[in-house]
Amino acid sequence: MDFILIQLTGFGGEFMDLVTDPLTYFYLILSVFLGITFGALPGLTATLAVTILTGFFGNKIPLDYSMIALLGAYVGAIYGGSYPSILLNIPGTAASAASAMDGYPLAKAGRGGEALGLTTTASFIGTLIGTIALLIFVWVLLLMSKNIASPEKALLALFGILLSGTLMSEDLVIKGWIAGLIGLAMAMVGLDPILSEQRYTFGWSYLLSGFQVVPVLMGAFAIPQIIDGMRYAKIGQVIELQGRIMPNLAAIKRYMPTIGRSGVIGTGVGALPGVGEDVAGWVSYGVGKTVSAEGDQFGKGSLEGLLSSETANNACIGGALIPLLVLGIPGSPPAAALMGAFKINNVIPGPTIDPQIILRVVAIMVLASFTMFLMGLFTARIFIKILRIPKTIFLPIVMVLTTIGSFSVGGGINDLYLMLGVGFVAYFMNMLKYPIAPLVIGVILGGMFDETFRRTLLISDGDFMAFASRPGALILLVLNIALILSQIPITKRLFAHLKRKVA
Amino acid sequence: MKFEFGKITAIVALVATFGTGATAQDYPYRDITTAVVWGAGGGTDTVNRMIMAEMEKHLPVSINVTNQTGGVAGSNGMVYVMNQPDDGYTLVGLSESNVTAAVQGGWDQKFDYWYPFIVGGSPDLISVPADSPYQTLQDLVDAAKAAPGTIPAAAGGAGSIHHLNLLAIQSGADATFKFVPYKGSAPGQEAAIAGEVALVVTSLAEQAALIEGGQLRPLAMLTPETAEIAGMTVPSAFDIYDGLDAHLPLKQAIGFAVHNSASDNVKAILTEAFDKAMAGDTVKEWAMANNYDIGGQSGADAQALFSKLEATFAYTLKNLGSTTVDPMSLGIMKP
Repeated sequence: MDFILIQLTGFGGEFMDLVTDPLTYFYLILSVFLGITFGALPGLTATLAVTILTGFFGNKIPLDYSMIALLGAYVGAIYGGSYPSILLNIPGTAASAASAMDGYPLAKAGRGGEALGLTTTASFIGTLIGTIALLIFVWVLLLMSKNIASPEKALLALFGILLSGTLMSEDLVIKGWIAGLIGLAMAMVGLDPILSEQRYTFGWSYLLSGFQVVPVLMGAFAIPQIIDGMRYAKIGQVIELQGRIMPNLAAIKRYMPTIGRSGVIGTGVGALPGVGEDVAGWVSYGVGKTVSAEGDQFGKGSLEGLLSSETANNACIGGALIPLLVLGIPGSPPAAALMGAFKINNVIPGPTIDPQIILRVVAIMVLASFTMFLMGLFTARIFIKILRIPKTIFLPIVMVLTTIGSFSVGGGINDLYLMLGVGFVAYFMNMLKYPIAPLVIGVILGGMFDETFRRTLLISDGDFMAFASRPGALILLVLNIALILSQIPITKRLFAHLKRKVA
Repeated sequence: MKFEFGKITAIVALVATFGTGATAQDYPYRDITTAVVWGAGGGTDTVNRMIMAEMEKHLPVSINVTNQTGGVAGSNGMVYVMNQPDDGYTLVGLSESNVTAAVQGGWDQKFDYWYPFIVGGSPDLISVPADSPYQTLQDLVDAAKAAPGTIPAAAGGAGSIHHLNLLAIQSGADATFKFVPYKGSAPGQEAAIAGEVALVVTSLAEQAALIEGGQLRPLAMLTPETAEIAGMTVPSAFDIYDGLDAHLPLKQAIGFAVHNSASDNVKAILTEAFDKAMAGDTVKEWAMANNYDIGGQSGADAQALFSKLEATFAYTLKNLGSTTVDPMSLGIMKP
């Protein structure tokens, strides 16, 4: 009980600090606005918003403020994606893809205002659910994580890369794994973490410190988006908005169970390493369709369908921050960009992270969700106008911003070559339907995997049983093996066979 | 690349010459920038922000602290400041760990390129997890003698000040541990708490919170002095094993530096401000609260201290096989 009280007072203190600091509002309003704009413009994603801000704010302003900017943009962008989903039938971000299924039919039926009002409220409640889960689970996990040593970390990192590969693939799971392995290979470049030997540096001193996270993020997430956007620069027809954008309180009340369920699903999906808001939206939509009484209406303009996906994708944010703060494993691609921001500020997320940072993150999330809610209700028409900006104007601006951001973190021209190189590779991988998120997760977790895997073997004198000798490690090892086996054709067939026998 | 570099240096030199010719005002007449070579929030960064704020009070201008991280052993920041004019308007914030940049191929200068000022450092100590069977340093050393090279020990990365301290206690107490490298002190301390390693050697400042929280048990200071923390007196390893003074103490040296080629006037003004700041109560209180020992050396004294550290580090790294440049070729003599 005392513990909860201490947490609440700690949170209250941080919250008051934020509320009474006028600079908070400056960063908050600016970043949430920017986030919603990025989310609303088709082709610009939440990951991109957070990445670009990492480049701009990461090491220029104190971490306390850059966290406001990054989290504000994150919350705003995930929400902003719902505008074009509803009004254009084009998801602003992948996270809102499921929202278009019901949002667009609603807008066509002249209920666009109602739909926007509901998604705003649902996003708000979803963010809060995720944030509360973050506040609770982060402490539970932190207590457990005191026992997490190298073998567990190695297996967790591997699990993150594999899981991200499995769930982010559009067609073949193996493509996701290949992308993850490419990321893992990229993480090997530089001084090795155990013996400080040079690896794959070709005598080039720039490569000694390895591939820098921010240029890789920019290259992987921004460049392909921009090229792709310029290739198909067609503006959709924005449906004229009818009715006022107000939350329909009666509907919210009626659908409260749906919102609650979707919030929990979203948080859970977010907490899985490397799996983001888009998966959360679809999973929640899928679950909603199966369990809801009006499931047959999904896809034809069902409010419940819209709420399912919109609550879940925002709840995912809080969930994604849990593994990030406790273990240094980003729970979603935008969280990977946040990880980059922590890294350049020398904050190492993990069991010994300053508890103050966690409380501050929670306080910022609460404020950001309120800001997003108010902006959604009162300035929505501005965002709808933004939808009419042609891609040919905003994409080049974004390219310039990306370049400046990428350059300003390290201050070296080589970072730009790296960004462009990664960008072109990522573009062709996109064309071949190789998911890019597992690659980035591979780059970020690869270093951790490499270091902890080899350290485990160093301590055990090369005995691989070290990975099964601790209870936590054993569980994770089994999970990893199960994940790989579940995708191998032989075991798949075997399972199908067994199923038929049982049935 | 070489050619361009030469060109840039030439231009910088040219601008610098004209600059000084045109404005023969007294130093300092504009703001000073200190580029810290380690990240924001780390020990070197914190120390520099603290001391620069104090020195400002004794100078007519402000001092801005920025961070220029990356490279090998902080070489990016050092190269950056090296390429700035040596007029005393760009200082570099650094620590003892930077002395390895040359032998690891980060840059091609001996450390006496700098004219350093040492604020201080936190002393190293040897600790074990709270549930460890080892109650004293003797227990630990006896166990290591019984089974040489099997007891895992964390002490930062290979070639760090903490690793050097571990090596020194090994030679002094004639025992061998199994050194397990970690990227920095915090991950090594986490590993000790998780039970992955049996002991950890890092600085008192870094361990303070964990000792006070009852997660680590301090066994011995690796300095001649004892220390008081969390209501305990931590004994000095020097009182337990004779002959340690041949290898220890190897202490952190955190501070800042100006180009050694800067004018005597610049050096004198900086030294005066530094001495005044170090004599102030703020520095003493800060050091007390953060478990730091105050240094206060500057100029020749500080250079002598750094060149000893440079030699010790260089040849230890050479023995570990992790140098890319032979220390002898840089003119670094065996300690």
